[in-house]
Amino acid sequence: MSADEGPGLYVESTIIMTTVRLVAPFVLTFALFIMFHGADTPGGGFQGGVIAGSVVMMLAFAYGIDSTRQWLDVRVVAALASGGVLVFAGIGLGAMALGGQFLQYNEYLPLYSKASKYGIELVELGIGGIVASVAIGLFFLLAAGFGHVTEGSER
Amino acid sequence: MSLTLLEGALLVFVLCCAVGAAMLKDTLAAVIAFAAYSLGISIIWLVLQAPDVGLTEAAVGAGIMTILFILALANTVTPNADRLFEPVRWRTVVFVGAFVVVMAATVPSLPAIGDPTAPVVGGEVTQYYLENAYKETQVKNAVTAVLAAYRGFDTLGEAVVVFSAGVVALSVLRREVFA
Repeated sequence: MSADEGPGLYVESTIIMTTVRLVAPFVLTFALFIMFHGADTPGGGFQGGVIAGSVVMMLAFAYGIDSTRQWLDVRVVAALASGGVLVFAGIGLGAMALGGQFLQYNEYLPLYSKASKYGIELVELGIGGIVASVAIGLFFLLAAGFGHVTEGSER
Repeated sequence: MSLTLLEGALLVFVLCCAVGAAMLKDTLAAVIAFAAYSLGISIIWLVLQAPDVGLTEAAVGAGIMTILFILALANTVTPNADRLFEPVRWRTVVFVGAFVVVMAATVPSLPAIGDPTAPVVGGEVTQYYLENAYKETQVKNAVTAVLAAYRGFDTLGEAVVVFSAGVVALSVLRREVFA
């Protein structure tokens, strides 16, 4: 807990911490379910990604924003965001490399039988990664405030 | 057009929340009214049989947006509200009222919910997606089939827009890492 966390922004509460500890795994599972199962049921990468991002916000709500910021590896967040874009564009360009059109999933048929379905699942996962990490990122950026720069970064 | 009790109650709830979000003087109260509005709208999407949109509205509108608003409030100075509602300016009321009347005038010409003769259902494109989506993409949710396969290029654009929003937020706030 550093000094730049304003008074009243974080209240340590055993009830909230216990609840979040109990609920967070289920919320993360639900987010992954929405992402994976979006092909056959309502949902998809955008919705699942937002729910996955909200897990981190729940943790920050329970354990304090700055402790969560320190616990979270920034490289993972950045990798999720750029990896999502790369996966999506890569699948599209890969189909072109195999001789089809951009994002023509059935070009992958020689490699895997249900190519189209799993191509779409991968794309959904990529979208989920982008949305989750940008949601987390905006959360921490807003939480850090606008007027001052904390020790971790330089101008 | 007849409404069930649930639909009527939802519409009244959403309208009250929307007016509350616009009128409440206290910003925190307005943010909470806005979250309740989003929740009501997402249930309305479910009633209209658009669960994909409902899920998005619940997660983004009622969830993330509220958290980001509250964080922004926590980082700014909020003046004490001396009264419950904003003072009403009659000119604004006339303008908004006229807009509502114009929008409401289009409502009677909308087809009924689930009307099989509605133009969008009978349209060639809709029928093509409904008939061929599973055959061609092997996903059962036609919305996902359109989103990721038929309109995949558009969706890539959307995903990149989200990504760039994050990058732009970083550069505007002069930071190098997200967390």
